[in-house]
Amino acid sequence: MKKYIFLLALITISTGLLAQKTTTQKTNSADSLLNAMSGDDANAPVVIFKSSRLILSQTTETVKKHNLNFLVIHRFGDFAGKQGGGQLYYGLDDIADVYIGFEYGVTNNLNIDIGRTTIGGLADLELKYALLHQTRNGSSPVAITLLGEAGVRPYGKYSTFGDRTSYMAQVMIARQFGSALSLQVTPTYVTNSADAPFLPTGAESKYFALLTTARIKLTKHMGFIVDYGHPFSSFRTTANGFHDPLGFGLEMETGGHVFTINVTNARAVDEINYLNNTQSNYSKGQYRIGFTISRMFDFNHK
Amino acid sequence: MKYLSIILLVWLGMGRTGTGLYACKNAKISLYSSAPIEDIKAASTTGASVFNAATGELDFSVATQSFQFPKSLMQEHFNSDYMESDKFPRSTFKGKIEEHIDVTKDGTYPVKATGELTVHGVTQMRTIPGTITVKNGEISMTAEFMVKCADHHIEIPRLVFHNIAESIKINVSATYTAH
Repeated sequence: MKKYIFLLALITISTGLLAQKTTTQKTNSADSLLNAMSGDDANAPVVIFKSSRLILSQTTETVKKHNLNFLVIHRFGDFAGKQGGGQLYYGLDDIADVYIGFEYGVTNNLNIDIGRTTIGGLADLELKYALLHQTRNGSSPVAITLLGEAGVRPYGKYSTFGDRTSYMAQVMIARQFGSALSLQVTPTYVTNSADAPFLPTGAESKYFALLTTARIKLTKHMGFIVDYGHPFSSFRTTANGFHDPLGFGLEMETGGHVFTINVTNARAVDEINYLNNTQSNYSKGQYRIGFTISRMFDFNHK
Repeated sequence: MKYLSIILLVWLGMGRTGTGLYACKNAKISLYSSAPIEDIKAASTTGASVFNAATGELDFSVATQSFQFPKSLMQEHFNSDYMESDKFPRSTFKGKIEEHIDVTKDGTYPVKATGELTVHGVTQMRTIPGTITVKNGEISMTAEFMVKCADHHIEIPRLVFHNIAESIKINVSATYTAH
């Protein structure tokens, strides 16, 4: 008896379902079919930063395949203090450091960079590899990019060629929170083959450092950047006259060009230089205006 | 008892077949904009579409991120500046074909689809002309229409390198299989 009641119930329910289906199924099944076919959009990598360089830090973003990024990074002289002020047009008459370089996308994830900077006449070759991209669906919460730099100072008096070289390795870890805030931390290792150049003997030539940076989106094409670096070096202390590099900047993107205007205490552009030796101090007026111009050329032709 | 349940299940299942649904998950959707410096072209080959031959209902959906541009920077700007694909990941069309098409007969049918076109999160009622071709039981569809950036609140920044036209030409082609 129970069986038949169960059966009857089942028939009633299924008939009811069928009746319902005929009225609503057509649109519903078309909808669900469309949704099922509309795959996962969330796998595309998140664009965390608008450019490959901020103020001090580089970013996890790479130059895409067959694109060439031309960079001019300029730091003026001290804004105030003994070496600045109105007579020197607040540092604009002076050059602290100029970096001219190129970044080329071998693949979307692998870049080769070359450049040259005024301080120490340091010429550098870099390899940059994007190991991991942040995804919208959270399958990868962060982006990780590796950077290796070899620098050589071709001019000046050194006893061996080896003494002219410095190396740097970085692991850049970045994440975009929402659509407005991007953060990056960059554990860094610096090694100078000889005693750190332009510093008294006893300055550690090998040490770890940490860069941290934030970009806050102001408009679609403009962002505010804070960039900070700290070398973990027992020699590079405030007592010995060293100061952690700290920069603030405004980044403007006009499609193809990225222009950053900034203020930093660091004189140097290259990581090796500003981590080795930043002795300029905000409180003494030793901060400067600087800018970065980046221009992207695309060699993909279709 | 067991058999009865199976029969019931089959009966339920039968209700699902014969609804006249046709699906396509590799619809090609391309866009074209003439621009002062260089023309802008992009295409997606992963558009999804469902066509209900019985009712004439026609739906399309395409991911903004799936559009491939010849230049990577253009693609980035398309996603971040114009379409804001993080906020509005998909463009859709939900409509109905006005004419009744006999999908059992081979032929080429000019049709008009009327419905809601949603691009950049803004929905517009549109009537889009197109062509349906039935050949050996295979249904395919093509359409060409213009989308005005202003209609969908797509801002064209004044200070950009890859400037685009105020109207974008869209081409759609889809080949369906019975579902």
